[in-house]
Amino acid sequence: MTGPIRQAAEALLFCIALIILWEGGVRLFEVKPYLLPSLSAIAAETWRAKEQLWHHSLVTLGEVALGFAFATVLGVALAALIFFVPLAKRTLYPFVVALQSIPKIGLAPIIVVWCGYGLASKVTMAFLFAFFPIVITTLGGLASTPAHLEEHFRALGAKPWASFWRLRVPSALPSFVDGAKVAMPLAVIGAIVGEFVGSNDGLGNLILIATGSSQTALSFSALLVVTGLSLVLFYLIEALGRLVWWRQG
Amino acid sequence: MVAAGLKPVADMAPTAIAIDGVTKRFGGLTALENVTADIRDREFVSILGPSGCGKSTLLRILAGLVGCEEGGIDIFGGRVNGPRDDVGVVFQTANLLPWLNIEANLRLGLEIRRGKAVARATEIAPMVETLGLKGFEQHFPHQLSGGMRHRVAIGQTLLCDPRVLLMDEPFGALDALTRDRLNMELLRIWQRDAKTVVLITHSIAEAVLLSDRVLVMSERPGRVIRDVTIDLPRPRDPSKTRESAAFGEYVVELSRLMGVG
Repeated sequence: MTGPIRQAAEALLFCIALIILWEGGVRLFEVKPYLLPSLSAIAAETWRAKEQLWHHSLVTLGEVALGFAFATVLGVALAALIFFVPLAKRTLYPFVVALQSIPKIGLAPIIVVWCGYGLASKVTMAFLFAFFPIVITTLGGLASTPAHLEEHFRALGAKPWASFWRLRVPSALPSFVDGAKVAMPLAVIGAIVGEFVGSNDGLGNLILIATGSSQTALSFSALLVVTGLSLVLFYLIEALGRLVWWRQG
Repeated sequence: MVAAGLKPVADMAPTAIAIDGVTKRFGGLTALENVTADIRDREFVSILGPSGCGKSTLLRILAGLVGCEEGGIDIFGGRVNGPRDDVGVVFQTANLLPWLNIEANLRLGLEIRRGKAVARATEIAPMVETLGLKGFEQHFPHQLSGGMRHRVAIGQTLLCDPRVLLMDEPFGALDALTRDRLNMELLRIWQRDAKTVVLITHSIAEAVLLSDRVLVMSERPGRVIRDVTIDLPRPRDPSKTRESAAFGEYVVELSRLMGVG
């Protein structure tokens, strides 16, 4: 057996062992379903509630997508501002670093008070979670332009605009992609937290309602779907990031 | 055009670069002290000196990348106060953009200096041929050897067709064989295109092999301590030129001046 196939087989076997352990353990010890449902019960519940799960997934996906999009646009803009405007570096940058230290979860109730129970508060939460990693990594990327290439561009008499587009932006892209990969799962967490604190819809809301009414299997189903959503979005960014294949040596 | 075998630079050729009492300080440290030299049009001049003598700093001042505290540089009669379009620089590191293929990297200098239209219209095949890069146009820098990357960097600068070519130890990181080959390519291009070349090097043999004149610099603070005219026939050849007695004498003389003979 070759290396990668063997590795995949080992991982799969381990996974199957875990499933057997869970399913067997729950049956053997007759664990109460509201404490820990069996995997087969979770699977059955997921199938039964598929339309409900689909609806809530779309709600959460919308919140995450909007929050992430705002975080990307505003994050890159703020990073560029801090990098190119000395006054912004002196005033905004320490402010951004300080804001980053606020536990965003603690802001959730206030955001709900400000933005209401609808879409806006969840988008804001997703935005807040995703924003800072993008600012910090983009800033790092802009600063990582190799000095010898900068000097080369100066020797060629490149205008600032040409240096920016031809040199700084491509140099910053790998770092920005790393930031986006961190930010995407954080945006999902942000949206779920927002839904926990106050919502009528979305997978976070479903988890809360299901757990509150002892429908633990449904709660697990929703958790499964959130995890899947987060993974799919992450690999979407990862796939887009492949377009930025170069790395500075 | 300079005919093969003739001494290429007439003594009455006009001055291309006038270095006039250049002093450069970094804080309390004097890197260059009252450096004065004239380099004539179409001349091949090497600047030879020990590490840390300020020769790279001198090249950056010639390129208009940094200023100096005293004195100044005139190129073709105009005072240098920034990078000029008729000056091309080849640095120690091959400055290629990792995200552009070799063809795009070759055209990059033209594109920045003269715009996209000129860059696109310029025929690069002869340069690709000269530099032995044929078949690698669509490759990316990380797929090439160090020697090839240096050739691309040199090609990018040559395509801009600068009258003055400044080179800062462009072959320093290469093995002896590749270095010889690139040296010969450089000589051929220089003779064909009638450029003024200033080459920074710490290799005595390389300086003698290539140059019309070698300016020897002292240790810090860097000053020009000797101006040696290399009166060897052209075209030169790594094996034949090196075997000649005169070549050996120049190497011994320059070694003594640098304190290693």
